[in-house]
Amino acid sequence: MSGALVSPDLFTLCKTLITGIMKIQADAILAGAPVGSPVEPLRGVAYFLMEDWFLTFNAWMIAITIMVTWAAAIQLLTMMWIERKFYSRLQDRYGIMISIWSLPFWPFSWWAKRKNKPTHRGLGYLQNVADGVKLLQKENITPANADSAMFHTAPVLIASSTVMIFAALPFSEGFVIANMPMSLLFILAAFSLAPLGILIAGWASNNKYTLIGGMRAAAQLMAYEIPLLLAVVALLMYTGSLNVIDIVHQQERLLTMAGPIPIPAWNVFSIPQFIGFAVFLVAIMAEMERIPFDIPEAEAELVEGWLTEYSGMRFGLVFGFKWLRALAGSALVVILYLGGWSGPVFATLTPSVGGTVIPIPIIPHEVWFLLKVYLLFLLFVWVSWSVPRVRIDQILNIGWKRLIPLSLLAILLAAYFVALGPALGGIR
Amino acid sequence: MAVDWQLAAFLALSVLEVGGSILVVTAKKLVHAVFWLAMTLVTIGGIYLVLQAEFVFLIQILVYAGAVPVLFLFGIMLTRRKIMEEVTPGEVPETPAEPPKEGFA
Repeated sequence: MSGALVSPDLFTLCKTLITGIMKIQADAILAGAPVGSPVEPLRGVAYFLMEDWFLTFNAWMIAITIMVTWAAAIQLLTMMWIERKFYSRLQDRYGIMISIWSLPFWPFSWWAKRKNKPTHRGLGYLQNVADGVKLLQKENITPANADSAMFHTAPVLIASSTVMIFAALPFSEGFVIANMPMSLLFILAAFSLAPLGILIAGWASNNKYTLIGGMRAAAQLMAYEIPLLLAVVALLMYTGSLNVIDIVHQQERLLTMAGPIPIPAWNVFSIPQFIGFAVFLVAIMAEMERIPFDIPEAEAELVEGWLTEYSGMRFGLVFGFKWLRALAGSALVVILYLGGWSGPVFATLTPSVGGTVIPIPIIPHEVWFLLKVYLLFLLFVWVSWSVPRVRIDQILNIGWKRLIPLSLLAILLAAYFVALGPALGGIR
Repeated sequence: MAVDWQLAAFLALSVLEVGGSILVVTAKKLVHAVFWLAMTLVTIGGIYLVLQAEFVFLIQILVYAGAVPVLFLFGIMLTRRKIMEEVTPGEVPETPAEPPKEGFA
């Protein structure tokens, strides 16, 4: 248990920041417009700036901006970079290599030339930015017989419901916008809104490929929502809380010692939850439409599935949102089963007064959390680019005939272990 | 100036909800009706949220808004639709095709 960088929480930090900035401005205005001077009415502006509702509103706005920038821009680009670079390596090639030294203007070009840096041999992080710029420049084409209004509404529905997940998804105890008592349910509800947008996108494009892709997406996403929620029910028998931060806090204690290695009490280290974990992993992979389950946009059968007709930045929006869902799904698995942001403690501080042990944040919570999320996402990518795509009937068979019975078994076992917990000597 | 934000939110949501439910029954295309139904159900959830029943709100989103795609699927599959319609043999198309020209001039 090391410390968190963002503490006590994001909103409080933003409130402190905005109060400081507004106080400096208000003081400057009050000093510049003393009582009796011709600009005295300006003092009202200063009082307005220091009003509490104004500060609260601005603090919320800044908190939301920080979270959206962090999740939807920085993490989205990182996830895309991880995937593209890693599957290129799996296919024995370099992959994307556009880096900061590839920028064709001063000072980057000058510096690359001076240092003899090869201009297109970087790590490739900026390739996705370049692709985004390219998509922004492209024309937004509406198909001739498309239902224009719904065609343009669908990307908004998809993107907004995906960004909504990050209202409740924490990156550490503090790095969260809204810490609601039922945030897990909120995340799952926001996760389940996307099929409607996908189906609308598929229908409104007026194209057979998109319609079939939308139908397949709806069938698959609805089918895999059930084992997902049932696995969560099995988990809730153990945690008894719908708050994701509480769920992580419950996993922060020590389970046992395997020799010198301490084993934390993560939910995955228990018999019913391991079944639930396996079900959840497969189901979330299908919810992300990753490759073994990417039947809604199987390139070999349907051109690009339900997003065939989109062009320009709308395509970028509906294409990039998959990585945002991948980020949210990986983060959800990490929070529910893999201990969230809890990590080993490398150093502690025992003050002479009081005697409580204070962990020193050498590696802060956020870094642990992102490390786990990236590792899990690497596993997803590895599976995606190693196994062949399953057929639509196989997908539905796996969902309805394998995963749902398994998740029901997980619920049964979880209920059994919860009821007989003390009698079994602490077997989880 | 005290604004009753709860009342304002309730009024905005109920305007959206009533408007949406009227559009459900007046929409020409069935798929549009299903879309407005989704909006109506979500705004009803918003009213639950105004009444501080968060759990009912979340279940409303999860169950009703989640079930709308199924309705959507049935709407597409069980009804005739103007968009993407194929003329089956023996069926009279709704807009008659242009009569073929009498040969080339």
